[in-house]
Amino acid sequence: MPAVIDSSPECVTNEVGTEDARVEDSADFVLQANYEDCAGFMTFGPGSVYGDEGTAAETAYYILTWLGIAFMVAALIAWVVFEHRHLIAYAAGHIRGGRGGTSA
Amino acid sequence: MINFVIAQVESLEDAASAESQVLDSVILGEQFYFFTVALMWLIHVGFMSYETGVARRKNALATAMKNILTIAVVTPSFYYFGWWIYNCNQPGLPIGPNSTDFTSAACQGGIPWSDLFGPNLTNNINLIFFLAFLLFSWTTASIMSGAVIERIRLSAYLLLAVMLGSAVWILDAAWGWSAGGWLTLRFGFHDAIASLVVHGIAGAFALGVVFNLGPRIGKYTREGLTRVFKPHNLHMTLMGLMLLFTGFYGFYAACLVIASTTFPGWANIYLSPTTLGSIAMIITFGFAGGFTGGYFASRGDPFWTISGGLAGVIGVSAGADVYAPTLGYLLAAATAALTVWAGQWIEVRMRVDDAVGAIAVHGVAGFLGVLWVGVFAAGYPTGLNNVDSSIGGQLMGMATFLPLGFLSGWGASLVLKKLGLLRVPLEVELDGLDVAEYVPDLYLPEIAKADEILVEPDGTEVGASQVLPGEARELVR
Repeated sequence: MPAVIDSSPECVTNEVGTEDARVEDSADFVLQANYEDCAGFMTFGPGSVYGDEGTAAETAYYILTWLGIAFMVAALIAWVVFEHRHLIAYAAGHIRGGRGGTSA
Repeated sequence: MINFVIAQVESLEDAASAESQVLDSVILGEQFYFFTVALMWLIHVGFMSYETGVARRKNALATAMKNILTIAVVTPSFYYFGWWIYNCNQPGLPIGPNSTDFTSAACQGGIPWSDLFGPNLTNNINLIFFLAFLLFSWTTASIMSGAVIERIRLSAYLLLAVMLGSAVWILDAAWGWSAGGWLTLRFGFHDAIASLVVHGIAGAFALGVVFNLGPRIGKYTREGLTRVFKPHNLHMTLMGLMLLFTGFYGFYAACLVIASTTFPGWANIYLSPTTLGSIAMIITFGFAGGFTGGYFASRGDPFWTISGGLAGVIGVSAGADVYAPTLGYLLAAATAALTVWAGQWIEVRMRVDDAVGAIAVHGVAGFLGVLWVGVFAAGYPTGLNNVDSSIGGQLMGMATFLPLGFLSGWGASLVLKKLGLLRVPLEVELDGLDVAEYVPDLYLPEIAKADEILVEPDGTEVGASQVLPGEARELVR
């Protein structure tokens, strides 16, 4: 079944080693053969190779990172706006005598 | 499967090889930091319980929510720019991943799109080390949170927490709490377990914030005398501090660098040798001395006795990698006593309303901690340049970090104040933040209806509802 979003870097291969593992379940434990050309293999990552850590990210990962930053900033702004409206509404209701107590 | 096991046994022949040893060491280090991270969560359980217990009943839930949401905002912000600040600003200016500065390799792993920020078979340490620092960041932000409870807006606190937890403290850590920091390389600044770079800076930042935030309604009489707001649950506060103390062992351990294949196996953050046992010894003697100093300085006050334990540990943290146990014990007792007096002076003389004494316990004790190193532990080679620790180097660090902490807290909170976003409306503060933001009352109705008690300057106890509305009307006028 095809993946909806294939986000694994190109250096990750598929199927390599699985045949051996079926024959003798010792071989290629955790299917390392699929990763032998790949050091970093996170989703949307650049898929750096051994000895070349920290290479520039691919466009997809930059986009993902900036999406995260945008979400974080939006959440902080939303917190400010949401709470401000909430508090002002409460204070206004208090002045009208509609809600709130006086317990100190 | 048996073949696999046999193969593993055969492979043990190679276990003594240098390569295997290095790999074992790296994986041991990864596990070590993981468990320090788990242990440091207790610091946040502790902060939450501590502050919630100190808060009045009407603000208990709002206080706890503030601590919980610290994690929600500091975690992503520290990932997106905090780790970059630490790894790319140690020389004093931002450097790029391709810089010729020797810290550029670390800078490479600090940018958020580095492929070291995911599963990477060449590096087991970057992520778990990041997480240890992240927990330090939560701690730093949480130190400020206690000082501002019961009147700050949640959103204002969260913005300030991001600034303190993901920018201010980590910048000072880059400069003075790293092997390549300019304060370390040039002046031998020595703050091994973060007396100043975590606690002191947070205390200075909190002081700047409370200057703009102002005291809680009714904290001071119209004549400027001090009222006492009783903690609504002192047991919760004491338990919170004990949890925090437990988490501190994780904090202390996480401040070390582990290198199990290289004698002596441990180094402080400046890569100078120490041992895990020695710092654990100092933290324990720090508690002992701190409790003792706090008890006698406060004449047996439970709150200041246990806070003295915290102040004592903070006071010996900077030199915990080299102190003799007796020196740690005595310095902790002295730090705690001075902190108690400083806390009372801040509250009564400065009229700064710090509900949990954070400015004294973390700020004053943190600055004293690095001062003690200059006085009692000079001459220890520190940092990659092996510059001796000295009173001059310690004072240079203090002179750098005091304005960094205070002015950033003061400036940021001033902007929020001008925008009308710093403090909750007066009506909300009187009714309690819980009723305005969350639920009518956290407690059972029969308890919720009881008036809360405050202590007047002359020692008489009165119902808060008899005093605070009048004080609020006075503020409106």
